[in-house]
Amino acid sequence: MTAEREILIGDRPVAGEPGWTLAWVDPRHGVALLRREHQHHLVVIEGGPTDWVVTLGGRRIAVTARSHRDRLLADTAALAVARRGPSHVLATLPGLVVRVLVEPGATVAAGDPLVTIEAMKMQNEIRAPRDGRVSEVAVAPGQAIATGALLVRLADLDP
Amino acid sequence: MTPPFRRILVANRGEIAIRVMRACRELGIESVAVFSDADRDAPHVRAADRAEWIGPTPATESYLDVEAVIGAARRVGAEAIHPGYGFLSESAAFARAVEDAGLVFVGPPAETMEGLGDKLAARRTAVAAGVAVTPGLLVAAGEARDGELDALGYPLLVKAAAGGGGRGVRRVDGRDELADAVDAARREAEAAFGDGTVYIEKLIAPARHVEVQLLGDRHGNLAVLGERDCSVQRRHQKLVEEAPAPRLRPETRDGLAADARRVAEAVAFHSAATVEFLVDADENRWFLEMNTRLQVEHGVTELVSGVDIVAWQIRVAAGERLSDEVLAATPRGHAIQVRLYAEDPWNGFAPMPGRLGAWTMPDGPGIRVDGGVEAGLELPTAYDALLAKLMVHAPDRDAAVTRLRRALDETAIGGVPTTLGFHRWLVDQPDFIEGRHDLRFVATTWGSGPPLADGDAGQAAAAVVQALGAARPPGPMAGVAGSAQAGVPLPVDGQRPWTRQARAEAVERDPEQ
Repeated sequence: MTAEREILIGDRPVAGEPGWTLAWVDPRHGVALLRREHQHHLVVIEGGPTDWVVTLGGRRIAVTARSHRDRLLADTAALAVARRGPSHVLATLPGLVVRVLVEPGATVAAGDPLVTIEAMKMQNEIRAPRDGRVSEVAVAPGQAIATGALLVRLADLDP
Repeated sequence: MTPPFRRILVANRGEIAIRVMRACRELGIESVAVFSDADRDAPHVRAADRAEWIGPTPATESYLDVEAVIGAARRVGAEAIHPGYGFLSESAAFARAVEDAGLVFVGPPAETMEGLGDKLAARRTAVAAGVAVTPGLLVAAGEARDGELDALGYPLLVKAAAGGGGRGVRRVDGRDELADAVDAARREAEAAFGDGTVYIEKLIAPARHVEVQLLGDRHGNLAVLGERDCSVQRRHQKLVEEAPAPRLRPETRDGLAADARRVAEAVAFHSAATVEFLVDADENRWFLEMNTRLQVEHGVTELVSGVDIVAWQIRVAAGERLSDEVLAATPRGHAIQVRLYAEDPWNGFAPMPGRLGAWTMPDGPGIRVDGGVEAGLELPTAYDALLAKLMVHAPDRDAAVTRLRRALDETAIGGVPTTLGFHRWLVDQPDFIEGRHDLRFVATTWGSGPPLADGDAGQAAAAVVQALGAARPPGPMAGVAGSAQAGVPLPVDGQRPWTRQARAEAVERDPEQ
């Protein structure tokens, strides 16, 4: 079963180099020591069983381990998204909505700022993932939001 | 020793509140925490002897609410209030309100803060004391004479007089950008500090940020505890600080100390303060501002000077005299601090609130961690993203960098991106290792960061996942079902095959087992 799994970082398959072993694992905290000869890396392991985040030297690296079946499903879904792009713009971080920069009906280009969210004293602009027309603005200034909250809905531009 | 006070209220949160509470404990003083709704279960609440609720989550309704803080101090019978840094620490109005309430403000007198808290007023004070300030205005931007700015030459910086933490700062590269930059800085300053006064100074580059730590008592004694270099900055905010400043001529070091003393003596000063300077390539010194409070980076000076700045700040507030040891303190060795923020260095250092996962801090010789968080803590979005400060102390700078690299390798943080990855990269950079970096360093050398999975990192990360897969027994993944949530990644029973495998390896290495 392990033989059919492939390991990916981003879209790139990575052949894990031989020689690395997990010297110990603290399963309570997800901390482990990765070792190869005299090299040591203290790592944090999160997620699973297919999508993992391995934090190594402070770098959070997303690693995907998937079977061929998973891969086919994922590729199909990705293709669907690539054709039209996501139509829901979600909050990538929790915070306070301080500005809404678009109104329903507005035409936006990929990269245009849509909403400004203040978190930890910093202002962060959430941008349009693709070209489109704003079909709904789901938040208002002053509103506290959680990660993943719907901010703006985009519709396709009229052909 | 009789405790200087019986009970102190600490009007802050996070690591600095805990730092002050530790000093209180060592001095035999009861500490009182304050907390907002978001901080009910925060570590600083548990670090205190008791805690008082002061309001809802927004800082303006809690940690910045003068009445709420003083009310809490009155309720618990505190004799003094320590403001930490940020929040109300530089508010002269707060200091005055504390004094009017018959309590002791652990900081300088309110009138000293009025004269120095405003950066424009501080520049005028320094000029009057004969200390060079960065070329630029001594009046608000709107009051400048025609042509005065063009004479300075570009680039210029527009700065908020009431500013701090890098906010309200705008760079101007030419005359046509000036009006817009002044307007933008004014708006930002108005929103952040309630005061839209801005002034303009010449941008000095390349330059290093070097600052001098002062500690004064109410009897006219002033200790100059040496300087710190804080040139590793992003968004005009410090990330790494060290003491002493590397590669500085002895006469520059002495000049900085003398300048700082001159500014402090020009005002009625006691308590802890920092005088900030720019030092250019020719080692000219330019006064920037004086902060009349504890700094985030006070710890590196404590490590090299052996002086507990926070404890002395409290003792001085109670009227004690600085000891001869403090007045004669000289730096020993080298100390470096890195700030661990919940920020993503690979995403423009954007703050990344969330739930903290694993939290493993280094220890051993020459390590100090001033932390304010713990594993599993939900980081509030309403406040600063500083998680902890990691400090190292060693006999010289080379040894300190080596020790810092070792310490960073012992550090593991899960759940949210942090500045740890930036710091681990930093300690391998030749410019930093040799102490040649200046204020441009992060922008020019880091940029948006090297590819995350560069070199060894990607291979090793892939190897981790491969090892986990290889060790998992065939069958349903039931054991990992609860693991999708960050911070609880692996089953708890401790008897998974991969731990057994590690034990088997250990036994193999050591036949005595």
